[in-house]
Amino acid sequence: MIAGDTISTRKKRALFLLLMPITLVLGIFFLIPLGIMITYSFLEPGLYGGVEWNWYPYNYGRILGWPLNDYEEFEPIYLAIFLNSLKIAGLTVLFSLLICYPAAFWVSRMSPRRKNFVLFLITLPFFANLLIRIYAWLLLLRPTGFINSLLQGVGLIDQPLDMLFSNFAVIVGMVYIFTPFMFLPIYANVEKLDYSLVRASQDLGAGPVQTFLRVILPLTAPGIIGGSIIVFIPALGNFIVPAFLGGSKVQMTGNLIERSFLQSRDWPFGAALALLIMGSVVLLLVIQFARASRRESRGAA
Amino acid sequence: MRKVLGRIVGVASVLMLSANMATAEGKLSLYNWGDYINPEIIDQFSKENGVEVTLDTYSTNEEMLARIQAGASGYDLVWPSVHMHDIMQQLGLLQAAHPNQMPGWDNIDKAAMRSHEDPNGDYCLPYAWGAVGILYNKKMIPELKSWNQFFEYAKANPGKVTMLDDLRETLGVGLIMTGATVNSRNPEEITKAENFIMEQKPNIGAFRYDVIPLVTSGDIAAGHYYVGGVLNTLQNPDLLGFVIPEEGATMYQEDVCLLANAPNPDNAKLFMQFLLRPEIAAKNSERLTNGVVNTAAVDLLPDALKSNPSINPSPEVRAKLQIFEDLGKDLRLYTRAWDRIKAN
Amino acid sequence: MLKGLKEGKLWSILFNGYGLLFLTFLYMPLGLIVLYSFNSNPINMAVWTGFTLDWYATIFGGASVEGTFDAAFTESPERIFEVVKNSFLVAIFAASISTIIGTATAVALARYKFAGKRFYQALLILPMLVPDIVLGIALLIFFVGAGFELSLLTIIIGHVTFLSSYVFIVVSTRMAGMDTTLEQASADLGAGPLTTFWRVTLPQIMPGVIGGFLLGFIISLDDVVITYFIAGVGSQTLPLFILAMMRRGLRPQITALAVLILIFSFVVATIGLLLRNRKP
Repeated sequence: MIAGDTISTRKKRALFLLLMPITLVLGIFFLIPLGIMITYSFLEPGLYGGVEWNWYPYNYGRILGWPLNDYEEFEPIYLAIFLNSLKIAGLTVLFSLLICYPAAFWVSRMSPRRKNFVLFLITLPFFANLLIRIYAWLLLLRPTGFINSLLQGVGLIDQPLDMLFSNFAVIVGMVYIFTPFMFLPIYANVEKLDYSLVRASQDLGAGPVQTFLRVILPLTAPGIIGGSIIVFIPALGNFIVPAFLGGSKVQMTGNLIERSFLQSRDWPFGAALALLIMGSVVLLLVIQFARASRRESRGAA
Repeated sequence: MRKVLGRIVGVASVLMLSANMATAEGKLSLYNWGDYINPEIIDQFSKENGVEVTLDTYSTNEEMLARIQAGASGYDLVWPSVHMHDIMQQLGLLQAAHPNQMPGWDNIDKAAMRSHEDPNGDYCLPYAWGAVGILYNKKMIPELKSWNQFFEYAKANPGKVTMLDDLRETLGVGLIMTGATVNSRNPEEITKAENFIMEQKPNIGAFRYDVIPLVTSGDIAAGHYYVGGVLNTLQNPDLLGFVIPEEGATMYQEDVCLLANAPNPDNAKLFMQFLLRPEIAAKNSERLTNGVVNTAAVDLLPDALKSNPSINPSPEVRAKLQIFEDLGKDLRLYTRAWDRIKAN
Repeated sequence: MLKGLKEGKLWSILFNGYGLLFLTFLYMPLGLIVLYSFNSNPINMAVWTGFTLDWYATIFGGASVEGTFDAAFTESPERIFEVVKNSFLVAIFAASISTIIGTATAVALARYKFAGKRFYQALLILPMLVPDIVLGIALLIFFVGAGFELSLLTIIIGHVTFLSSYVFIVVSTRMAGMDTTLEQASADLGAGPLTTFWRVTLPQIMPGVIGGFLLGFIISLDDVVITYFIAGVGSQTLPLFILAMMRRGLRPQITALAVLILIFSFVVATIGLLLRNRKP
């Protein structure tokens, strides 16, 4: 009895110590600034940036259509831009997943020494500055760039392909810069994959497709989900790639938010846009979590 | 005569500076546009005065304003455009540095006193100005003269031109082409300009700033760009050209201003005096290839710059250049138009 | 048996072929950067006019390129070194602190049952969700209001707030469904929680921890927007510096700098690998 108590207090203490740093960091340096922005989104924009301390819910009205006053108008383009961002971010996740998933298996089957080296080779390009890597893609994709010259040289095409300044260029660029974001979580998961389960499935006569769908995929699902989340979220808010590779003709919500703060001096509107995106993604995640935990509890039962 | 005068002033300011040297120890923090000052003159200032100079950069007025307004401190001098100078002065973010009482002030071109809030130069020192025109590839367009030609070319070769990713600059072109002023507050005029740009949008390859390499390589034929691009046309005169279009163009001017909470106001004033020296102003202008506000410095410039019609335009061309004014709440009209252009 | 072997061989050929393609995808842009850093053409990097080391020379303070109008606005070499140093300092500290915090959180959430677990899960996703610019300005307002002086320290704090979440996700991924029997055995044998963690848990989750650290390091080294707002006077980092220079197009010096940073990373990582391989 007494021993049980000490174990539980010990456990409590350990939990407390483990959670304290994140609680402090996020509590002070994240939740307070977030609170500032939530407050700002309900205030009147200052004439030259900043805010006036008047209650002003109409920033949301511009995006959602309600509430509005005489001065603010509803513009459906903001929702359209958001949908386009969702699409681009979703495609980015899909393509980076397709690229990184087999690569994770490739690396996981190597000898430890080789594994370390290849792992390092995979992360190395990302030490070159992000802006320069994006710029390199500009040089690759442009009409007189490497890819077009190569294709023309081989004789596959006559006229240079218009690859730059399009959704395509934006997605390629994002897949490239987010590769480690997808690769590392999947690899962390695949690396500990229990091959005895795979063999058992094969021994039981399951075909490769069946084994993949029934055994490998579920076992690596945490990595896929983790990687997808950390690619999707920054891809959704990204504004640097659309600015460079989309030629600023491809609009994502990130560009809109950036412009609200840095060109049109409308901080509350930028804050409202940001909070709406956050709200919708949190909602998505909550639904996903709820589903997952329901499935889990059903599985347990 | 001017030259002699300039030299005397120059010598006088050197003397002034050396007199001030004793008090000029310590630091100076500059917050300027990227690539908007010759690093050599910073070095020189630093050596002459024993001052440690740091330089941070920004790329839009609003970016700088956002940081200063949110409370970022520690900077001494900033380089706002004239309309931003007015805004910052109204917001109380600047303090009077009295450049108009510094030696060499008489050399400042009176036409450069463009600020409404600061007509006499009590606060800020005019720095440089320039037109926003078109940089083009001569192999693709032998001679470009006008916006009309620019848009015609784009129509025939979709995707081969770019415009700036700046709402006032690009809508400004729309306003010029539809016969309005670039500071219009009339919603109808702005809608017309919006429609004009919207019509062109399918032919415009991109809205971006870093067009020099793309024009040089021939990936695009022409790009809406600042007069700073003349630097590249001078290096490569057979390939690149820069033009202020016939229909007119926008222009900008930056002033050097002392921030209200500057930690080193004395060194900042010393730096303003330094910038007023004709030979320093000339050395700086060689790098910037911008319009010069220091009349004594013009004589010291290399001929290639002095005679360049884009850097030193004729009075007729100057008359067609329009500078942006602050629009206050009406900026919203432009923002909405720009959001629609970008989204569709 | 024979069939299995053959299949295995086929698979490994396929995998290796794919791996090669994957590396090509990763290295193609990089190769271009390395190539351009040796191109003597000062005006257009993409047109090869000859081999040069000038761009590397200018970084180290060598003579700038000939000509009345120097195309390359070379910043002083001291400035470049300072900027690079700032970036690495921030990345090392921010990634290390975030790795500790993120791993601790992942362990807590994976190994303990407590009320508010869901709350923490949601809370940890949030920092990644806030657009950079919003977090940047909000942090700036907060730091200024709370009387912090903007410096490298504020950049590190700012980075830790969002990097912890990334590390948390990578480590959690590793821990998901991990076998806990070893940990239980260790506890049953009387090892304290700390000993169990050091001897049993940590080695098992190490690939995740390293992955989280690497990811944090890369993100920190690349962050432009948040850093821009919370950087103090003179505490500029490399991405800010490069962004400021890129307005007029990428300069060859910058590609040379990127290559140097790559070489530096390569050397450091190789030494690390060699030491690690020697230890056991």
